[in-house]
Amino acid sequence: MTETDHKKILAERLSARFGRRAVLKGMGAGIVAATAGGSFPSVARAQQSGHLKIASIKVIDTLDPHFTGFLSAIQIINNIHNGLLKIVYDGENVTFEPDLAETWDLEDDKTHVFKLREGVKFHDGTPCDAEAVKFSLLRVKEGEPKSPHAWKLALLDEIEIVDPLTLKLHFSQPYAFLPVALNGSTGRAGTIVSPAAVEKYGTDYGRNPVGTGPFKFVSWRENDAIELEANTEYFEPDMPKLEKVTFVLMNEASTALAALMSGQIDGMTDCPMQLVDQVEAFPKANLYGEIEGNYTFLGMNCKKGPFTDMNLRKAVAWALDRETLVKQAYFGRAQQAYTPISPPMTDFFDPDIATSGRGQWFDLEKAKEFRAMAEEQGEIEVTYMMAERGPVGTRVAQTIAPMLAKIGIKVNLELIEPATWVKRRNEGDFDLYDFEWVADLDPDETIYPEFRSDGAWNFCGWVNTEFDELCQQAQVILDSEGRKELYYKAEDLLMDEAPIGIMAHMPIYKVFSDKVQGFQYIPADLVNLHTVSLA
Amino acid sequence: MLVQALGKIGQTLVVLFIVSVATFGLLKLAPGDPVQIMLGSEYSQEAYESLTAEMGLDRSFLVQYADWAINFVQGDWGTSFVARTDIFTYGFKEALPVTLTLAFFSLSFAILIGVPLGVLSAVKKDTAFDAGSAVFALTGTAFPSFLLGILLIWFFGVRLGWFPVMGYVSPWEDFWTGIYHMILPGLTLSTYFIAMITRLTRASLIEVLEEPYIAAARARGEPGWRVIWIHGVRNIAMPLVTILGLQLGTLLQGTVLTETVFNLPGIGQMLTSAVLGREYGVVQAGVMMTALLFIGVNLLVDLSYPILDPRLRDRK
Repeated sequence: MTETDHKKILAERLSARFGRRAVLKGMGAGIVAATAGGSFPSVARAQQSGHLKIASIKVIDTLDPHFTGFLSAIQIINNIHNGLLKIVYDGENVTFEPDLAETWDLEDDKTHVFKLREGVKFHDGTPCDAEAVKFSLLRVKEGEPKSPHAWKLALLDEIEIVDPLTLKLHFSQPYAFLPVALNGSTGRAGTIVSPAAVEKYGTDYGRNPVGTGPFKFVSWRENDAIELEANTEYFEPDMPKLEKVTFVLMNEASTALAALMSGQIDGMTDCPMQLVDQVEAFPKANLYGEIEGNYTFLGMNCKKGPFTDMNLRKAVAWALDRETLVKQAYFGRAQQAYTPISPPMTDFFDPDIATSGRGQWFDLEKAKEFRAMAEEQGEIEVTYMMAERGPVGTRVAQTIAPMLAKIGIKVNLELIEPATWVKRRNEGDFDLYDFEWVADLDPDETIYPEFRSDGAWNFCGWVNTEFDELCQQAQVILDSEGRKELYYKAEDLLMDEAPIGIMAHMPIYKVFSDKVQGFQYIPADLVNLHTVSLA
Repeated sequence: MLVQALGKIGQTLVVLFIVSVATFGLLKLAPGDPVQIMLGSEYSQEAYESLTAEMGLDRSFLVQYADWAINFVQGDWGTSFVARTDIFTYGFKEALPVTLTLAFFSLSFAILIGVPLGVLSAVKKDTAFDAGSAVFALTGTAFPSFLLGILLIWFFGVRLGWFPVMGYVSPWEDFWTGIYHMILPGLTLSTYFIAMITRLTRASLIEVLEEPYIAAARARGEPGWRVIWIHGVRNIAMPLVTILGLQLGTLLQGTVLTETVFNLPGIGQMLTSAVLGREYGVVQAGVMMTALLFIGVNLLVDLSYPILDPRLRDRK
């Protein structure tokens, strides 16, 4: 392995941050001068005003960052807590910047050094220092009950407290994945919680979260609302702008949209694709949404049933007409996928992937060739399980069934209830199912836990040790180009052996009424409200 | 009297026992694992096992049932594993009042609109008004309430902007705002009952108006409105109350959809999310409350007969 200049990479990552900060500061000064006439120099605390009501239409399990499994929860958690690092977006690239940390440095490739901001306090008044950070990281790594995100810190050997505001994290191997492990996927391993509150509430912390974030938790009424209020002691100057935030918990997206249009609420944390046309036609709302780090796929059971035959899987993968799928199942809003790595992963995504010859796409002739090589030549009957409400809808399945009929596969669509769907998927009791992996920031989390031979989410049961090795190698090098090469090889194996037929990268939408100003969109399904104000 | 009361209580207990065993059994028989649902897609086997043990799901069915039943009777309804709240507080103090308010408003609408409409149809039998009200009633019973709810939301909420389209405000805390929020959901849920009551009132009243005592009242020269509204309507109160008591089940069923469409945090929403999340304790509590409510209301219906009909009062 070639020598990697970690410092240089880090410097590059951070330069973006300082550049942006300077610009923002400049802009802020201009605004202050223009509106206040320059009479009051630097007001330290923001004047909070306004009560934002925003609909949340998906399940929220807990507000404990270390235990949640849902992005809808993280959207709220992120407004109450901070992490060591945070995700930022400049309109092109998603990067990581220090958040509670003032600086983040690499002493060597196995040691990350975090210097914390001074004087930051949790909402309960206790200090957020190195001890608190250590407490949080250990809670994830080895706490009781077990955090579902413990694996992200499995390589963490030791947490050394250098002084009350400085920590060194020693890893057993070089760990390029760290920023993603701290901030990525459907949990927040690197989010810092108040040790005093954890002590006080125990397993009920998720109903009484105490962080350092721009908003304090006030109440959570079941099936009704979660209320937050401004943290007037927040460490970022002039934030938050709002005095109160209410997340209105709703089941019906169409009711939420009606409430937005009638002015009863000011936004939606998630706007399903089928409602986007209506939002676009409504002049008093702003739609935010881009293709995010995700992919949808048709999963095939590699462990039992007809799809143990690789040629049959390949036939299916090449028989999926992605254009039709995008049009019919995703309302024309998604983008055809060729491999799992998605557009926002700018260091890894190939913008010319459509012509690169890599991945899977629709080619009926090729599909028929593979079908002809399959062991079973007569008509094959398979079960495709789908759930009406919950993880996936039924649109994709209904669009796919006739496509597979063309290659002699008769699809029996089986509509089951979401809980059963999850159970059967996890037990590998299916022939076909479709699903999506969402809000990924890095190729590692986008393919490794999903398709590693013993991976927790490898529900298709695909086994390929070469794939495992490539991903492992990529995990420990910091150089993007080198990682990219390894991930491309891994992806090629995955697409070629086809445990899944890849379908699309989806845009994830949020809507705010035109009264809402200053929302900073981040393509990781986040709804950070510290910069938001109401006109 | 005492014997009767004890008999009633005994009956109630037997019904509750059967209901609780059936719910508990059916929930366990239904596929789907609450632990998997709670942990989402990312979790380790250890996390799974630790949560299963924490929830007590590694014990046998009978032990789980007995444990639940003993605690339930003592007023300890357990803790919701998702909501992390006391189920008694969540279900009884928070969700139940919402559903009761909704049911109360729908029933009020149904009676306030349905009875006069039925009376007028009976009086104006075989006129255009009667035909019109028949069409209205038929549409009302046939129209799915969730669709009506969405239509009402879009017309009165979004287009005209007259009423709020969602949310619950307790009328006990803020009376007028509370009522204001209940108008659309109340109407949605009551359509079916308005229609039913209209038809029932019409049919019963037509029958009653043939009775000799009505002719006698008319012969005494009592004014027309008195004959109809006092002598007539009082005599249809009994069948009306009986049917309403029996239809309470339908009404509670309707609250599930209405609560979802209008985003009201009542028993219906509580049960839906609990069933989908396999929250055994919450489902159990919801079903028990519904059963109790049903039994309670029908008890009230029984008790109301002597009030409505003096002939049934004890003569001592």
